[in-house]
Amino acid sequence: MFQIYLPIAEISVNLVIMLGLGAAVGFLSGMFGVGGGFLLTPFLMLSGIPAPIAVATGANQIVATSVSGALAQWRRGNIDFRMGTVLIVGGVAGALIGVFLLKLLREAGQAGLIISLTYVALLGVIGALMLNESLRAIGRTRAGKPSSMRKPGQHNWIHGLPLKLRFPRSRLYISAIPPLVIGWIVGLLTAFLGVGGGFIMVPAMIYLLRMPTNVVIGTSTFQIIFVTAVVAVLHATFNYTLDVVLALLLAAGGVFGGQFGVRAGQRFRGEQLRAMLAVLVLAVAIRLLFDLVLKPSELYSITPLMAGA
Amino acid sequence: MRASLSLPLLAAALVLTPVHAAERAAQPQTQREEVISDISTREISIQSNFTGIEILIFGSIDFSGAAEPDKEIYDVVVVLRSPDQAIVARKKERMLGIWVNGPGKVYPTVPGFYAVLSSRPLRAITSDETLKMLGIGLNNIDFGRATKSGADEETFRSTVIRLKENQLLFQEHDDGVTFIGRTLFRASVDLPVTVPIGRYTAHVYLFRDGQVVSKNQSTLEVSKAGLERAIYLMAFHHPLIYGLLAVVLAVLAGLAGWAVFRRE
Repeated sequence: MFQIYLPIAEISVNLVIMLGLGAAVGFLSGMFGVGGGFLLTPFLMLSGIPAPIAVATGANQIVATSVSGALAQWRRGNIDFRMGTVLIVGGVAGALIGVFLLKLLREAGQAGLIISLTYVALLGVIGALMLNESLRAIGRTRAGKPSSMRKPGQHNWIHGLPLKLRFPRSRLYISAIPPLVIGWIVGLLTAFLGVGGGFIMVPAMIYLLRMPTNVVIGTSTFQIIFVTAVVAVLHATFNYTLDVVLALLLAAGGVFGGQFGVRAGQRFRGEQLRAMLAVLVLAVAIRLLFDLVLKPSELYSITPLMAGA
Repeated sequence: MRASLSLPLLAAALVLTPVHAAERAAQPQTQREEVISDISTREISIQSNFTGIEILIFGSIDFSGAAEPDKEIYDVVVVLRSPDQAIVARKKERMLGIWVNGPGKVYPTVPGFYAVLSSRPLRAITSDETLKMLGIGLNNIDFGRATKSGADEETFRSTVIRLKENQLLFQEHDDGVTFIGRTLFRASVDLPVTVPIGRYTAHVYLFRDGQVVSKNQSTLEVSKAGLERAIYLMAFHHPLIYGLLAVVLAVLAGLAGWAVFRRE
């Protein structure tokens, strides 16, 4: 019942489940203030969508969520467009490499494996770091101490690099190389994993670039729109893996779920939310790891041979 | 209408096909039985609500040319197949504790869909050689792979068949052809949701004493229709425009979400 045929994935999925998946990820991303790509793509993979299609479609879906997010941030003047542009330039370069890397891996039949492995490593490390940090913060709050934030403004090795640019909105005068490299890594991850990359970009902007925290979320959301859009177009063009019907289902669910998530998130303290998110991220990592380690019930697989392979 | 059109063609096919030439030599050059058949539908369109479909292949045997129709045993075998596809089969192997796809074996010509239906088990109808020559039966399909010998090759080949059977893309039904009276027969085939698109052919063979005495074929077009067709064609023929449109749709969805839910 309510089965809907996906024209590119060439499978039939349950309409309610896919809308629910979009809504659940939208809810979580609204609640925790994250893009949700690193949850959506693994969820799609776990629900039977081939990994390369999950990646491309996930990237397209993030375009929708980050457009709403960036508009809200833009109205509050929280976007550093100059920094965003530099990050986009790096991001597009990384995206090009990621898309072709994925194409090669797909032809070798290893795309699903490498995507899963990268997710396990990335989610495992980030989940563990986040859990550690948030549990400490919760402990500090219980002990009655104020949570300390690092003070920006100190000089570090980044200030010795050439190609300095002025970023008036961020009140920074720093080399363009670090934001280019950060953008490049994020673009690579977007193309390869179908994530927005905010979870890497935001800490990097705060701790490496020392950007003011109020422009960090807006600027990263602004960068994510363009890089995920480029990734979606590149995957559609070179890998034929973007399923627009699936993307629309997820977007429809996501827009609604996001609104309820924002409200739910307001009931918790920041460190409690981070601890919950950390547990969720670790759970996804462990679930993906199980699939890699446990003996599969079916050892053999058949896939269509792609043209040119 | 269809049958009357195809009969002259059929006669030509009978003369031209080497298989039949050999059989004709072994049999008296008299008139013979004819089989005619058709499919319940000419076209199947796959739309968003497609969840699979059952089609009916039916036909009749014209005994007017037979010498002694009552004394012989007749069998009908129906083979429905889609265009071939090239596929890669892989086996997962354990490497450093995780399961990794091993090197792939390429099969250049595997039918996307293949169903064989018969009135009795195939081996009871005719010899293995005849089945092999006609490509009837799951074990007799030519996958176009050059190396065929070796235990590993055989395991892989039977695995390909098993996986295709699991997906209902390969089917073999010993009792799939039912006779209604003496001359009419019918065979129904369930096409699963994953059926590949393309022009399918249904070959209908009439066997008498293990020999093909008549053959008929009809075609079926399976295609994506409506919006699904437009999306599919665009994604594969104009991928850049398709990707850009998908992104525009995502941007519009984001704008809509922002416009509906903004609180200012």
